[in-house]
Amino acid sequence: MLQHRRNRPGSGWLALAALITVAAAPGRAATPAGLLETIHRHKTLTSTVTDNGDLNPYAVFVAPVSAGRIQQGDVLVDNFNNISNLQGTGGTIIDYRPATRKTTLFAKLPQRLAQVPGGVGLSTAMVMLKSGWVIVGSAPSTDGTTRTRGEGGLIVLDADGQFVTAWTGPDISAPWGNMALRDNGATATLFVTMAGFGVPGPEVKDPQTGFPVTVKQATVLRIELAIAQGQPPVITGRTVIAGGFGQRADRDAFLVGPTGLALAPDGTLYVSDALENRIVAVADALTRTSSAGTGRTVTSGGLLQRPLALAMTANGHLLACNGKNGQVVEIDPVLGKQLYAQWIDANQAQTPPGNGDLFGIAMTPDGKGFYYVEDDTNFLMEASR
Amino acid sequence: MSRNLLFRGSGAAMRRAAASRVALSGIALASLSGLGPASAAPPPVPAPTDTAAIPGQVKTGPPSFLDALSRTNYLLGDMGGLRTLLSRYGMTLSLQETSELLGNVSGGVKQGFKYDGLTQMVLQLDTQRAFNWRGGTLNVSGLYIHGSNLSAANLGTLQTASGIEADRATRLWEFWYQQKFLEEDRLDLKLGQQSLDQEFMVTPNGNAFVNTMFGWPMLPSADLPGGGPAYPLSALGIRFRARPVDALTVLAGVFNGSPVSNHSGDPQQRNPRGTSFPLNGGALAIAEIQFAYPSLGTMIMANQTEPLARTYRLGVWYDTERIADLRFDTTGRSLADPASNGIAQTHHGDYAFYAVADQMLWRAKGEPDQNINLFVRAMGTPDGDRNLVSFSLNAGFTFHEPFAHRDDDTFGIGMGYAKVGSHASGFDQDTGAFTHAFYPVRGAETFVEATYQYAVTPWWQLQPDIQYVFKPGAGALNPDSPGQAIKNETVVGLRTNLLF
Repeated sequence: MLQHRRNRPGSGWLALAALITVAAAPGRAATPAGLLETIHRHKTLTSTVTDNGDLNPYAVFVAPVSAGRIQQGDVLVDNFNNISNLQGTGGTIIDYRPATRKTTLFAKLPQRLAQVPGGVGLSTAMVMLKSGWVIVGSAPSTDGTTRTRGEGGLIVLDADGQFVTAWTGPDISAPWGNMALRDNGATATLFVTMAGFGVPGPEVKDPQTGFPVTVKQATVLRIELAIAQGQPPVITGRTVIAGGFGQRADRDAFLVGPTGLALAPDGTLYVSDALENRIVAVADALTRTSSAGTGRTVTSGGLLQRPLALAMTANGHLLACNGKNGQVVEIDPVLGKQLYAQWIDANQAQTPPGNGDLFGIAMTPDGKGFYYVEDDTNFLMEASR
Repeated sequence: MSRNLLFRGSGAAMRRAAASRVALSGIALASLSGLGPASAAPPPVPAPTDTAAIPGQVKTGPPSFLDALSRTNYLLGDMGGLRTLLSRYGMTLSLQETSELLGNVSGGVKQGFKYDGLTQMVLQLDTQRAFNWRGGTLNVSGLYIHGSNLSAANLGTLQTASGIEADRATRLWEFWYQQKFLEEDRLDLKLGQQSLDQEFMVTPNGNAFVNTMFGWPMLPSADLPGGGPAYPLSALGIRFRARPVDALTVLAGVFNGSPVSNHSGDPQQRNPRGTSFPLNGGALAIAEIQFAYPSLGTMIMANQTEPLARTYRLGVWYDTERIADLRFDTTGRSLADPASNGIAQTHHGDYAFYAVADQMLWRAKGEPDQNINLFVRAMGTPDGDRNLVSFSLNAGFTFHEPFAHRDDDTFGIGMGYAKVGSHASGFDQDTGAFTHAFYPVRGAETFVEATYQYAVTPWWQLQPDIQYVFKPGAGALNPDSPGQAIKNETVVGLRTNLLF
């Protein structure tokens, strides 16, 4: 445990008495400093592979309401790869229902969709609005690499998984990371990272580093929505509130760029900047009218190893999935302090264990645990007390 | 029980058959040095959706250069719609070809190169996806073994140069059903035809190498009846796996005592299609405890250096079959004695202990794919009277991403050691004494290997390899040069793996 007792000098008997008292009251434990130290169970919930063989689960989102074929509390998971395991070609979303432990196919989109430049490859960007609409990002390719990437877009589905419309435009390029959302019902504000602008194929190398060339053009786009009763959401505003993040092609993960977003109650948006291995904060994200650039660094390095998706715990801490070692890191963003990390994917097939296996993460409705995906084994997992 | 039942293993069977012939005829024992292929583990075939995998448990199967398959693709993609069709029924198909050209440029019985090939097919059915039955996996795999075996033809080694060496055949390999139980899948059972090299005695780092010794080890290959249930053979049985706490996994199983029903001759020929499913032998019981760190749920504090991954395994096996003595007949005479009745004494049962350690030694800061690992695997049996090999060891280092940005490449340098049991050596001494001719006494065989796995594409790998063998056959007689032991050998070659 993180909290330490410090005994006063000469207080041995008092310490013993205190020890006996503690032992006699097993229900009383030191207040945990965070969530991860309370997490002891990791349960496999379901395979995320669909009937058409789509693979590589990325986004995880918990349904806030019941609508159409979705029940409140259902877990939606999308797939980024098709059966040939080509990245940026998956088009399916599964619905896992914790109450019945049943998994069904929620949506199956064709790889070619005229309304989306480049087609369909469902990314980590996915939300369901309280009005029942599901919005999911597409970061498509045809050969599994950014060499053939399209700009993609945001696809709107109804609560039965049917395609309704798609949002594209010059400010949208490979909607990538998990979206942050402020949902007021009739209106909503979305935040989504765009990680495709100007990214060439992985064969274009930076002669200095030998890695695929880094392009510092990734942005965070805020999208304001109005949702009339029974009508699909309509965009009422779109503002780039942060930009200049590094992004580059990656053979294993398609892209590396800003991937995780989490919105604090005070309107601060936290962004995981994967290439710089840091978490940054964008102040006044709900209201600002200009870009904050790459924001203010909250924490960097330490336990972070390529932070990807972010989730916010009930007490305002951030959970960041590490792309390089299967760990989730808990961060107090106010103090800018990393608390600890837990291995939630320790697959020994990777070195180090769990390397490259994590992507999406979402808190469970009770706030006491979280869902996550293992993209090596195509499982949806639940971490709980 | 037929005395033929006393002969075990591909190599062991040939050796003992030869021993009996010698005992009866008293002629030169040239064929003693010509060992058949030992059982081995071929390059593992990754299943794209391995439903048998259990998150958080130690990966028990050998790793593959294609372990990153979940983020790669296949040569044949959807196979013209076949994969999609199978997926509708919850099935996945993997197909992998391993081809190699290996040759000895010095030493050995003779010099030359041989082509060897193996096609592996694995079909898995996820019962949850197929009919909503949670936690079940049905697995069937087949082998098409082609080409010829360098070790048998040229090398005369105990520790065969390639893990895919086997008799030419098209055969069923594994056919099992696995069911997970309990919350967090802390228990699972596997029933059916199983190859133990896929789960027991595995050293994940050792599987980067080409030599047999790094797969199914020398000791069980030589000592278990039929060479044990390992590639290309398997045996019916039940395997239990439990994870009482996250860091510990217990594996235990009981299998038919031999993968073949009749031990005369080459066991692969006794079960040529892998479909005889014998249950008439004794029982082979095996248990292994595995410790892995970090494991699922391991906490790392903010000021703590990330630990280096490690996995340790301890195990024991016991086979209840009756095992032939390697030196004495039923009257107590040496089997090499022309007056011997040629019928070996038998002993009840056989057993051995083993330990395996895989330890990461170094990891590049900020680039964890780049790391160096140590592995050691040792096993031994105190019964030198009935075991051709009484101790075997292999060890080495692997270096992942040895060059920057070659994430899926591995360089390895390793060694193997096999010590011949006391009665097998004693038999050699007796043979020399009775024939009044030079006859080398087998002691131990050692080899070193350097290899480089080069990932050309996610579905294609090239692997140049070099091995050097000291005292091939543990100092066995060269059948082509009477009066001489087989000279030390240099083996070079190139292997390729293709995932379709």
